[in-house]
Amino acid sequence: MVDQVHKEFRKRDLLYSVALWLLSLIIPDPQLHYRREYRFRKRDLFYLLSILLIPLVWSDLHFHHLMVLAGIHGILALGLTLFMGYAGQISLGHAAFFGIGAYTTAILTTRYGVPSFLAFWTSALTASFFAFLIGRPILKLKGYFLALATLGFGEIFLVLVRESSGLTGGVIGIFNIPFFSIAGFMFDTYLKQYYLIWGVLIGLVFFLKNLVRSKMGRAFLAVASSEDGASSVGIDVARIKLGAFVIGAAFAGLAGSLFASVMSTANPEIFSLNLSVLIVMMVILGGMGNLYGPIAAAIFLTFMIDGLSRYQEYSLPVYGVILILLLIFFPDGIGTRLRVRLIYLISYWGRKRRREKVEF
Amino acid sequence: MFLLLEEIVKNYDGLRALNRVSLQVRKGTVKGLMGPNGAGKTTLFHLISGMERPDSGRIQFKGKEITGLRTHEIARIGVGRTFQTIQIFGNMTVVENVLTGMHLRIKGGLLSSGFYPPWIKRGEEEAMKEAKEILELFGLFGRWKWFASQLSYGEQKRLEMARALSARPELLLLDEPAAGLTYPEAKQVAETLSRLKETGLTLFLIEHHMGMVMEIADEVAVLNNGQLIAEGPPDVVKRDPRVIEAYLLKK
Amino acid sequence: MDLLYPLPQLLVSGITFGAIYALVGLGFVTIARASQIINFAQGEFVMLGGMITFFLFKGADLPYPLAGLLAVVIVVLIGFILHLLVIYPLRKASLPILLMATLGASLVLSSTSALFFGTLPKALPPFLGSGPFEIGKISISPQSLWVVGATFLVLLSLYLLSHRTFLGKAMEASSTDPLGADLSGIARDRMIFLAFGVSAGLGSLAGIFITPLFYVSYHSGILIGLKGFIAAVLGGWGKHSGAILGGFVLGVVESLSVAFIPSGYKDGVAFMILLLILYFRPKGILGSPFIDSRRW
Repeated sequence: MVDQVHKEFRKRDLLYSVALWLLSLIIPDPQLHYRREYRFRKRDLFYLLSILLIPLVWSDLHFHHLMVLAGIHGILALGLTLFMGYAGQISLGHAAFFGIGAYTTAILTTRYGVPSFLAFWTSALTASFFAFLIGRPILKLKGYFLALATLGFGEIFLVLVRESSGLTGGVIGIFNIPFFSIAGFMFDTYLKQYYLIWGVLIGLVFFLKNLVRSKMGRAFLAVASSEDGASSVGIDVARIKLGAFVIGAAFAGLAGSLFASVMSTANPEIFSLNLSVLIVMMVILGGMGNLYGPIAAAIFLTFMIDGLSRYQEYSLPVYGVILILLLIFFPDGIGTRLRVRLIYLISYWGRKRRREKVEF
Repeated sequence: MFLLLEEIVKNYDGLRALNRVSLQVRKGTVKGLMGPNGAGKTTLFHLISGMERPDSGRIQFKGKEITGLRTHEIARIGVGRTFQTIQIFGNMTVVENVLTGMHLRIKGGLLSSGFYPPWIKRGEEEAMKEAKEILELFGLFGRWKWFASQLSYGEQKRLEMARALSARPELLLLDEPAAGLTYPEAKQVAETLSRLKETGLTLFLIEHHMGMVMEIADEVAVLNNGQLIAEGPPDVVKRDPRVIEAYLLKK
Repeated sequence: MDLLYPLPQLLVSGITFGAIYALVGLGFVTIARASQIINFAQGEFVMLGGMITFFLFKGADLPYPLAGLLAVVIVVLIGFILHLLVIYPLRKASLPILLMATLGASLVLSSTSALFFGTLPKALPPFLGSGPFEIGKISISPQSLWVVGATFLVLLSLYLLSHRTFLGKAMEASSTDPLGADLSGIARDRMIFLAFGVSAGLGSLAGIFITPLFYVSYHSGILIGLKGFIAAVLGGWGKHSGAILGGFVLGVVESLSVAFIPSGYKDGVAFMILLLILYFRPKGILGSPFIDSRRW
């Protein structure tokens, strides 16, 4: 009788362990990517296929909606990970570039009838332009002061948007932004929007992967590691930091444009410090210095926030607590050494079982 | 005159770190820079490599004025440098450190690299080959895939030198290349430096290791309290009473 | 002439707010001096000071001064808890992590406050029952005098604490030279723990002082925290005198700005000042002992 209980226990344990081990195969491990392996491997194909096929398999509308949002967050996280994870800087105002992109698209498409495809690229340019302006003086700062300055910029942007109602619709924002369309094909359902956004994201991943394994990628890492060493081999540190900042802003601009074209509205509440914090969390939880981690973290956090929203007014405190816990337990990223931790966990269970056995 | 410093003055918050220092380095020679700790040697290197600006005085390299230029511009002109506190890139692999050294010689801009056209791909492959050859010269080839932070202290110093060389500088500033090394490691460094000199590279090094300086330097300059107190061939300078006094007093 | 008319009045309110910013800024400086950490949850201590006082006074019917005192004690305890649960586990973490953690804590505190106290703004009665009195054309509320006066008292005690007592000097030591402090037997973590308590106390005092003049609500924390930080940077980061000077300068400039630009932009003024100061003189007006390329 006792043996039966133990056997069941063992089977359940095994099931959990196998499930978790499979999960660890799927979750991107920043340490692995960190090892500078840039060849396209089977795992990359697996990710690509699953991204392409999952919405067809799972056709729940809410799921599609969330994945659309997750994709947008993913683009944001990718942009910021170049600046934070590779170049080693910090920005707490990234949501401002998202907002600039969204408003640019909103204004161009609703007031001037610009086709969304054009507005898309213009948004990226506008965001890059502002990043260029703001970056030159700000990037001389380091550490907390850079964080503070970017935060300041984000807040100023928010104030400006709220006050210039003529241009931006003030606190109310802009409505009825047309859906994204190319040559007559309109992306009006969540499914179509999913492929649009994840298509853009995949393209951006290719771009970044190339960038990161080229001399520019090394330049970013060099600047993060030792500015003196980098400049001693001829790297223009200021220009590199600015480049990472501008590219990150361009990505955010693209994300903002897609957001406006998908959600059909743009209003100031979306581009707050909370969003900036969220994007930074995605980069940190994804693990600094890799590309897939922040995307996985974007998916994870988007779903988590949605899951929490059913708790109404408790959602924010719980969210905050979870953030702090994640930071304490996964400062290097959730996927880091996940397999090692799982092995440790499994061995802990094993020891527990053995102890129970002895007692009987 | 290959490297020329004229009347260099540098103050830090009221403390005069360098007081009207003038010296020259001839092309193709090895010059030593010595002096007790705090004499201003590293400060001088900072000024030459552009990390600081002198308060007055001029620096010329290959006949061109480089005073006030920024570090990466000076690197582009052909001045390389290693640091007293090793400044390798611990977040990259060994080979990537050397590849970064070749930054100026590899093709590609921010946007073009993102698209990785075939000409960039070829450039990267060639660079990788060359980088591995450089690592071979420094005995680091076996560890090319390791992360730079995983190397031992001596290996890291070698890596920093390899990286500085991969930029193909004409003048190399070495800040205490033998510091913290064991006797055989230091001997290896001295040999490497002699070989480099034979290839025509001009070396300017800060070093406390009397023996090493005697062996490889053609000329030595000695600083004390921000002032140049002696300059000339090593065995002459070694016997200069002011030099002896400076070292004895500080020690 | 018309433009200058409201200026003296604005000056008065500017000085009042300035005192508040000075207190908040001092809270930042206290923690930063002990640990090189910027506590982004500082503003929440201010908010909680006002909130809890309101709750104890109006909700639990405690006498006003007792409510205030108890609120300070509670917020100090919250400060201690914040250190133990968030800062201490992350004591070896890197900069972005610490930053995010304090921001997360700020979120937890403000949203929990909304949960407990509701989302409506709260106001407290002024300390002295009487209404404002007039000097010339300027009306000054006695609350303002209280604020400024009490601030100076707090400043004086802080000064005495950090420069005359052993505890204070120990806290200074552990920030400027952690290793040396360790070797001299000063428990660095304990110093940081205390610093959090002191900052929380300062913040809650600021909150109690300001609530009678300006309502408090669950989301007022973050903005006032940021402004306090800006004040500290403006005056000279890391110096007590810097936080004080910066606080008053920021308060006055911000207040006076309303005469020249639409009031909606008022909050943006502080951030503009921040960007200007970081660009032109990051060390702040009085200079800073801390700014060094390694950490900052």
